[in-house]
Amino acid sequence: MNKSEFISLLSSHLSALPPEERSELMEDYEAHFAFALQNGKTEEEIVRELGDPAELAQEALGNRVAPQHPLYWFGDRPEGQAAGTPAAQAPAAQVPAAARPRYRKAAPAVYTGLFFLNLLMMPLLAALWAFGLSIALAAAAGIFSPAFLLLEYAFNGAFQPAKAFAVLTMVGLGIFLAIGSRYAYSNITKLSASYWAWNVRAAKGVKINE
Amino acid sequence: MDINIQFKKGALEICVLVLIHEKDRYGYELAQSVSEHIEVAEGALYPLLRRLVNEGHCTTYLQESSEGPPRKYYKLTPQGEIHMKKLVIEWKRFVSNVSNLIERGSHL
Repeated sequence: MNKSEFISLLSSHLSALPPEERSELMEDYEAHFAFALQNGKTEEEIVRELGDPAELAQEALGNRVAPQHPLYWFGDRPEGQAAGTPAAQAPAAQVPAAARPRYRKAAPAVYTGLFFLNLLMMPLLAALWAFGLSIALAAAAGIFSPAFLLLEYAFNGAFQPAKAFAVLTMVGLGIFLAIGSRYAYSNITKLSASYWAWNVRAAKGVKINE
Repeated sequence: MDINIQFKKGALEICVLVLIHEKDRYGYELAQSVSEHIEVAEGALYPLLRRLVNEGHCTTYLQESSEGPPRKYYKLTPQGEIHMKKLVIEWKRFVSNVSNLIERGSHL
């Protein structure tokens, strides 16, 4: 295998890497060839010393997929483990620091997008809440209308039967509205909560399990 | 896979860290120096070096040379030095443990 075969084979094996990372790594190998050729080695010799492209690519991809510690066959023995444990325990590598839960960072564009979305959504949510509140107030006014009628009777001494019938209707309407406002309240609360949760998720990024 | 390859892979990181600790070195120089001591696929060096840089154990800088392409030098960071010392201690302990075991076995 000569240089160009090695390079193209390695490059194709590394296609899973992001382009800039791949080209950086390929530059490293190109430079290696340049230095080695300068030292009077043949391309075949260099390729032989470099090793199998597929295995090298695996090495490079493995590093990237999870920045894990390589399998240390001389790894730390976990604390408290008896010295006489089977040799199979030896490769127990230390827990990589990367095992902690990590969050994928949100791009600045996400924050900007959220800002403008909220510029629109916040007044909309406020309007919804105001709507819900108005229903609740109307319900309360309907239900308590007999009290207002009594007040009028107590202070003005006037009593009109028409108003008494009107109050009857108002109480009925008030009860309907009260039921309606209960639904409105629970739904608007749910909507607000889930919108808030979505915002937090979008801003914080998604939790990655490694 | 040949168990020997796994041995060498584990040792490669220590060798590289110690070599960079001695003085700043560039990729090909490292490959040469490592090959003097252990027989290893030199190509495995570059992914390893990238990982060391990503993990903050090394930094790189470019230096023009009179002949050939510019050389990418690797320099050990203070964090890398701590990492190296930790690995060396682990290594020594492991080697002595295995040696003891082998010695004990040879007496049987």
